[in-house]
Amino acid sequence: MKKYDAIVIGAGNGGLFSALSLQKNGKKVLLLEKNRQPGGISTSFKKGRFEFDVNEQMLSNYGNLSHPGELYQLFEKFHLNEKVKTIACHDVFHLHVKDTQENFIFPKGQEAFIEQMEKYVPGSKEAMVTFFGLCEDVREAISHYPKEKPSDMDIFYQTYPNFVELAPYKVIPVLEKIHLPKKAIQILSSFWVFFGSFIEDISFIHFALLVDSYVTYGLEMLEYTSYDLSTLIAHEFLALGGEIRYSSCVDEILTSDQKVTGVKVGNEEFSAPYVVADISPAVVYGKMILKENVPSSSCQLSNERILGAREFRVFLGLNQSLEFAPMVHVIVPTLNQKVLHKNQNSIFPDVLMGVVKNNHDSSSILELGGYFFQDRFDRIVKKENYYALKEELASMMIDLWESVTHLSIKPFIEEIAIATPVTFARYTNHPDGTTYGYLAKGYDNLLPRLFTKDKERKISGLYFCGSFGNFLSGFSATYFSGSEVAKEILEEKE
Amino acid sequence: MKDIKMNEKKKKSIAQFVDLFDARDEIIKHSSKNLPTYQYPANLLAQELHPDSFSVQLVKIVNETNDIKSFWFTRESKENFPPFLPGSYITLQVEIDGRIYKRAYSISSSSNSLKEYRITVKKAGIVSRYLFSSAKEGNIFLMEGPFGDFHYQSLRDRKEVIFLVGGSFLAGCYPMILDCLENHKIQSLSLIYGTKTVNDILWKKELDDLQKKYKNFHVTYVLSEEKRDDYAFGFISEELILKESYQGKSFFISGPQKMYEHLNPILKSLDVPNELVHHEIFATKPEDLASVKHNLTVHYRDETYTIPCYENETLFTSMEKNRVLLKVCCTVGVCGFCKSKLLSGEVKTDMSGLRHGDITYHFIHPCVTYPLSDIVLEIF
Repeated sequence: MKKYDAIVIGAGNGGLFSALSLQKNGKKVLLLEKNRQPGGISTSFKKGRFEFDVNEQMLSNYGNLSHPGELYQLFEKFHLNEKVKTIACHDVFHLHVKDTQENFIFPKGQEAFIEQMEKYVPGSKEAMVTFFGLCEDVREAISHYPKEKPSDMDIFYQTYPNFVELAPYKVIPVLEKIHLPKKAIQILSSFWVFFGSFIEDISFIHFALLVDSYVTYGLEMLEYTSYDLSTLIAHEFLALGGEIRYSSCVDEILTSDQKVTGVKVGNEEFSAPYVVADISPAVVYGKMILKENVPSSSCQLSNERILGAREFRVFLGLNQSLEFAPMVHVIVPTLNQKVLHKNQNSIFPDVLMGVVKNNHDSSSILELGGYFFQDRFDRIVKKENYYALKEELASMMIDLWESVTHLSIKPFIEEIAIATPVTFARYTNHPDGTTYGYLAKGYDNLLPRLFTKDKERKISGLYFCGSFGNFLSGFSATYFSGSEVAKEILEEKE
Repeated sequence: MKDIKMNEKKKKSIAQFVDLFDARDEIIKHSSKNLPTYQYPANLLAQELHPDSFSVQLVKIVNETNDIKSFWFTRESKENFPPFLPGSYITLQVEIDGRIYKRAYSISSSSNSLKEYRITVKKAGIVSRYLFSSAKEGNIFLMEGPFGDFHYQSLRDRKEVIFLVGGSFLAGCYPMILDCLENHKIQSLSLIYGTKTVNDILWKKELDDLQKKYKNFHVTYVLSEEKRDDYAFGFISEELILKESYQGKSFFISGPQKMYEHLNPILKSLDVPNELVHHEIFATKPEDLASVKHNLTVHYRDETYTIPCYENETLFTSMEKNRVLLKVCCTVGVCGFCKSKLLSGEVKTDMSGLRHGDITYHFIHPCVTYPLSDIVLEIF
């Protein structure tokens, strides 16, 4: 039996980064991936002259050399930045509101963002300044967050009073409390549909971290696709002596006395005291660990959590350049939160995300994403109608895009591909094909996850990262989760 | 007084903060202790639509023409086959003299009937010869699929369509034509179908019946080796395409390599935009290759094989002959199943199916790669 210091299951962003980080720190790491390439959904595919990105193709919290975001700093530790080519987007986002036909476009940088909001909603400036101030307080506190729930809360409170006070609150009550005008609240809270959870459920802490990093560092569009990042990290891991096995779907995680001892793939066993799972806990506890060795509280936790958004994606290769600069577009039916809230479980396809990118040869790529929650997709899909339903839903999404942007798309479609939750289920094995891990909600928001992770580890040596990890889902978040898990393992080993 | 207020506020905040975590414990405590569900409807549907591989039984062999036979299969499990988009292909695994061969064949039966899949094969290579001479009704094979990217897509394609098809390549187009006529509200569909002689035409009666049933469907038969009244003579020509008032229509082309070489310049001279032309995928074999021998070293996990390879044979063919199991699917450099890493050596290869990240780190598709020196390859 081959022996390793750590085995990583799944070469998604989290798995790749934890493997790279452990290997770089002198550990002997085996990375097992069920597919034939690295990246998980940070991958791409080709159709004709187009290479489509399955992930978002935009890096947030990245910035650049002179103004590095956290992801840039993380990549710098592994000398990755010199090999990552990006194009800075001038604007952070473009919000299209269907019922009022309003458009809100926000540039990057806090000051510019605040100025723009003041233009759209006069009188919002002071509260926006307060908002970003709170964001900074949150960032400062979280960067020093204790490993466990703080033992001396008095001291913790004295150091980070705003953080402690804000922690229990959702987004909108905080924005109301700081007297941000209603319209500005609506604009600011409508854009983030692609977080894969509802604004009513997301904690202010999580929101503050994300919005702050988007606005401060802007978005960097990858020159090619996220698959370049995946192949880069896999390459660096191999160069450090790491080992990757593709086409290797783990059958069993071996445990003994509530400790990880290795994994089994087919007839082969590999031993290691640490297993990092860049896959869903439901799959790990539901089928990978011998039934009698699965801790009942781990089952309880898995059973209580709710799956995040299921994505429906339409990839369009157009034989025309688009008039839009590369940027993320979000379409919402209305700014009225009550209406949005009422529809929250059936938002498809009223809420859309669109990413525009110019290709070579004056062609362009438009990727549209819509979201299903709970069992909304499962209820309408059947084996018999699958292919017809795909086309029907894609057509609705394109119609919505055309009606809101007043930009005709259909006559210029040269290539089209459609990915459904079924496509993602096939590729990732994630429950119901979710690409968003667990829904960020109440007890399962960022802080409760971070502060309970050690206590909830009932099998010693078993760690989770990726979209089901403690940093929640997201392009950058999954890299951080991989890096953090590696840090925890390295600290434990010392 | 102010201090007391502050203290109360602090106490309350701390209590709320701590409650965030205690609440999580409390909620989880009351949850079910059953093993978690990991198979949801989307997972189950994914397995039904794309089973890993499955056993099929050959139930019927039909002689279609002099050198074309159809093979009908049912699933050994008696389940229906997965629904498929017309134009899709499957791979069939065949063992001949202890060697395992996998080949891609278009599904030629209608996408409406999933009890059986039909493939329609022209006698050509080692596998088709085996199917012609040795395969018997009742035989069991392993099948994978359906796969493919050659489909009529209503969001992309025009309502007026022209198919240019050669010989046995009607196999994959036939279900597409049926689907266009039955399901896609096509305004007009023209099939220009080239064969050598009238006896080489596949499903003549079915095509003629379809023409009677659908007024918007029209077939032009073109014979290259037989002159007959009511049939065009020669190859599919500019003149025949002009007759179809082709402008603004979608083209679907499926035929042997020579047919593409003949048609591409014609379509270019007629100013048919690229985006209106869809090809059945095919591999181009470079012509100027000689039978020069090199060594191919293949690394697979902890194993290493060294086998001969030739400049006029793909690396995949060399591995297949020498029983090095490479996972393949389309065999024409598109699907990515066989993607391997070129560790050293010089090759001639088709990179059109590779992504930017693959090219950066020297990944290739052995099914469309010819060696120009000794080669060291890692397969996965």
